[in-house]
Amino acid sequence: MRLSQKVKKVLDKYPYDISFIVDGGIVFLEGKVEKHHEWVEIGLKVGQIKGVEGVVNDLSWEGKKRSKVERPETEIDNKLGAHEIVIIGGGIIGCSIARELSKYRCDVALVEKGPDVAMGQTRANNGMVHPGISPSKNTLKRRLNVLGNAMYDELCDELNVPFKRVGSLILITPRTLEGYRRYLPGPLYNIFLKYLLPWMVKKKGQRNGVKGIEILKGSEIFEYESVLIDDVISVVKIPSTGIVDPYALTIALYENAKKNGVKFYLNTEVVDFKKDKKSIEQILTDRGTIACEHVVNAAGLYSDEIADMAGSREFTIHPRKGVELLYNKRLEDKVDHCLAELKIPSHPTSKGGGINPTVHGNIIWGPTAVEVESKEDTSVEKETIHEIMERYSSILPDFPKTEFIRYFAGVRAASFTEDFIIRAAKEVENMLHVAAIQSPGVASAPAVAEHSVDLLKEMGVVLRPNENFEPDRDPIDRAADMDENELKRRIGKDGRWGNIVCTCEMVSEAEIVQAIDRGAESFDAVKRRTRAGMGECQESYCLLRIAEIISEELDVPLNEVKKEWDESEFFNGIVRGEEQ
Amino acid sequence: MIDVVVVGGGPSGLAAASELGAMGHDVLLLEREDELGGLLNQCIHDGFGTILFSESLSGPEFADIFMNRIERAGVKVRLETYMRSVEKIEDHFVISTVTPEGVETFESRALVYAIGCRERNRFEIEIGGTRPAGVFTAGTVQRLVNLYGFLPGKQPVIVGGGDVGMIVARHLYLEGVESLLMVYPEDFFSGLPRNAQQCVLDLDIPYKPRTTVKRIFGDKKVKAVELVEVDKDWNMIEGTEKIYSCDSVILSVGLVPYSEKVEELGAEIDPATGGPVINEHFETTVDGVFSVGNLIQIFDYVDDAVKSSYTAAEGVDRFLKGSFDKTRSHTVLNPGEHVKTVTPQRIEYEGKDEITLFFRPGVEKENVEVRLLGKNGILKSFKKRYVRPSTLEDIKIPKSVLSGNPEVVIDVR
Repeated sequence: MRLSQKVKKVLDKYPYDISFIVDGGIVFLEGKVEKHHEWVEIGLKVGQIKGVEGVVNDLSWEGKKRSKVERPETEIDNKLGAHEIVIIGGGIIGCSIARELSKYRCDVALVEKGPDVAMGQTRANNGMVHPGISPSKNTLKRRLNVLGNAMYDELCDELNVPFKRVGSLILITPRTLEGYRRYLPGPLYNIFLKYLLPWMVKKKGQRNGVKGIEILKGSEIFEYESVLIDDVISVVKIPSTGIVDPYALTIALYENAKKNGVKFYLNTEVVDFKKDKKSIEQILTDRGTIACEHVVNAAGLYSDEIADMAGSREFTIHPRKGVELLYNKRLEDKVDHCLAELKIPSHPTSKGGGINPTVHGNIIWGPTAVEVESKEDTSVEKETIHEIMERYSSILPDFPKTEFIRYFAGVRAASFTEDFIIRAAKEVENMLHVAAIQSPGVASAPAVAEHSVDLLKEMGVVLRPNENFEPDRDPIDRAADMDENELKRRIGKDGRWGNIVCTCEMVSEAEIVQAIDRGAESFDAVKRRTRAGMGECQESYCLLRIAEIISEELDVPLNEVKKEWDESEFFNGIVRGEEQ
Repeated sequence: MIDVVVVGGGPSGLAAASELGAMGHDVLLLEREDELGGLLNQCIHDGFGTILFSESLSGPEFADIFMNRIERAGVKVRLETYMRSVEKIEDHFVISTVTPEGVETFESRALVYAIGCRERNRFEIEIGGTRPAGVFTAGTVQRLVNLYGFLPGKQPVIVGGGDVGMIVARHLYLEGVESLLMVYPEDFFSGLPRNAQQCVLDLDIPYKPRTTVKRIFGDKKVKAVELVEVDKDWNMIEGTEKIYSCDSVILSVGLVPYSEKVEELGAEIDPATGGPVINEHFETTVDGVFSVGNLIQIFDYVDDAVKSSYTAAEGVDRFLKGSFDKTRSHTVLNPGEHVKTVTPQRIEYEGKDEITLFFRPGVEKENVEVRLLGKNGILKSFKKRYVRPSTLEDIKIPKSVLSGNPEVVIDVR
């Protein structure tokens, strides 16, 4: 059957008048559906057809079309710079590619619309470095995940970023196959869950190239993780699963790439491209133009819009929100591994998720997975908080689930083919898409970067090794990690090491000043670099103190100190009689 | 070896340290801020000291009295001091501190924790929506306005009808905030009636009882909130949601004791108060570790907190002199019907002295009977004209009333 026939067959199942075009593996959908979930569902069904390389979903629902950023049309005649390769997007992917390219002798720049790196999906990621057991065969994810995971030890060692291979446990419980119970009568159910299913999971992992997988049964399960619910039947243990702080890693990649010559344009939003035939010559931004020879589209949630703008419409991102609960550090000892209960079929709105430790000692529950209309929808509702508590407490019944200190959400940049899209743009000669990188994007990031560089070479970029490349990066030292003598020595040189500004996380003024010296200009940028404000009180003690330090260091009035973006100043107005 | 280290230089810590100093003990007071006084420094309104000194003082004036006493009593003070670690080694404590001058280690025979509590934040009350700039706790706003001279916003919504919320409302009103709204889940302001009158009603500040904030809107800065009505159990009533434009949200929604440090030393925590379990001398379940002030329970009046520090100081004095009778006869005090919390939670020593029991009612009611129930029925009962959950109640009894009862329950009928 030809591709267009297969697409027609899928669309015929829906009571809508949907027109479509198939062009070089890309399916373009046009028409109207009633609800947003149908927009998602139809896109996904078409994306699953073998041979489809991308779905451009222009269906509208309730009179709405997929969200697009309004971009200013005014042309800015300011030449910002000229570079051989320009990366669009400063998330973990863009920054990984930037650092990878800095190993070669070429002129690289990165453009990021936010005031800092790691401002999109990266900062809301739970930090799990997946082993690569779940991606299905024939996906790019599968290969890059296993490769990327294996690169983490060296990468984090070079960049001085905490990384721990804690391992993960996939739990098989009486709830795992609840929906299929009637097909497995009597003792068959338990036998299947105890012997066959863990073996099947192990085999799948082995086929993906994951090493060291073990099956645990009986009491040995509880030797690994004592707090688990006692009805766990069997466990698949994967030693290669790791945890990392995703924004700390991204900031480290950024700092190291910068040190090795990559130029970063922050607060710079791409608004258009200037092309000669099928080749981009200039990137137009809200701050001026950047001439370039090659463009890497690593714009995350907005990578489809960047592709459209460049004239290479070939995929649509459907935003999928994930909510997480972050727990008090004093519960650190309760969970040692990444834990997930296997459920078949998977939960309709929360495919994965589980309970993870973090490198900082907080335990994190989540994420959910809910399709949302807006790419900026990071709101969290009370009902969702309770859903997460209910859902994951099934495996940790004794965990004090109400002792979370924060909840937050991120939005994943998913494509309808549900795989990474890493390839040369079909209609633009000098653009590489590195798009639709969502879970397991963090685990895959180092391999995605290497793969992207290989593709750039194939596209004609000549890359010679940079003999001056320095792989190492100094972290901001932490007073909390120092022994008494070291701390004494530091305070002796600079008393700011002894001014503890954030008492929950023991962060000193010296660390905050260092973060600002390294380019942090907002409260959240300081927070991500130092952990100040991330403890139990959630800024209620240190907010003003940190704002005051930022105000002094950057020499701006206190009411101009920002939480993050422009127009996010904390305070508004001066008390009566204090004007001027 | 120091006799006693007092941690926290707010009113309770100041009171305990000055008393102990006056008794002739060698006292070291540690404070994380660069000045003593704690919360009193940001409370520039008056109303402090009416019980102890029979006059209405501002926070700083009240603190001043104790700072003078501290000086006279020869208490050593370390400011800008972060307590890095505390360890109990045999019968003494080793305290490691960090200050801009260096790292110092102290050894002491007793410890008094007076570290108070922190304010509950938006995550603890599960407000939904986005997480933009412009959401503050009331204490942050007090500091911002009083010490820095800035306003949180021009159109704030204040959540909580307790004393702090009302005082902040008045303060912002007087400092020129254009539009204010107070919301709270109770039927009427839960703080003192005089505050409701003077801070809100007299100034015509708009307020909505039985209302809370369900969601916050705004990506960068607060743009609006979704208000929702609640029933008598504080459950949101669906269909009553209303969007209200504002530029900031100020939370005064309760306090959480800083009990982590005491818990790390092994002290038992009372789940009802959130603070450490104490006996009649304010000693925790770890010998030689005492706790005073809002770490124990939230006092309505600073005067009461200070008075309890005096009692604790007597206990510390006896501990240091070794005059505690180590054969303890326990009475555990538990909250019964319509009572949320009771302190002290244990009575551990025989004696004839009078003790003060604090309890927080779980009900709003007129003409109630407060009963102490032992193994053979009512040990003692008291009449109270009116109780409500937001007012901490106390009763004074001779200790002998409780003796011979391993458990005593306090209830309200």
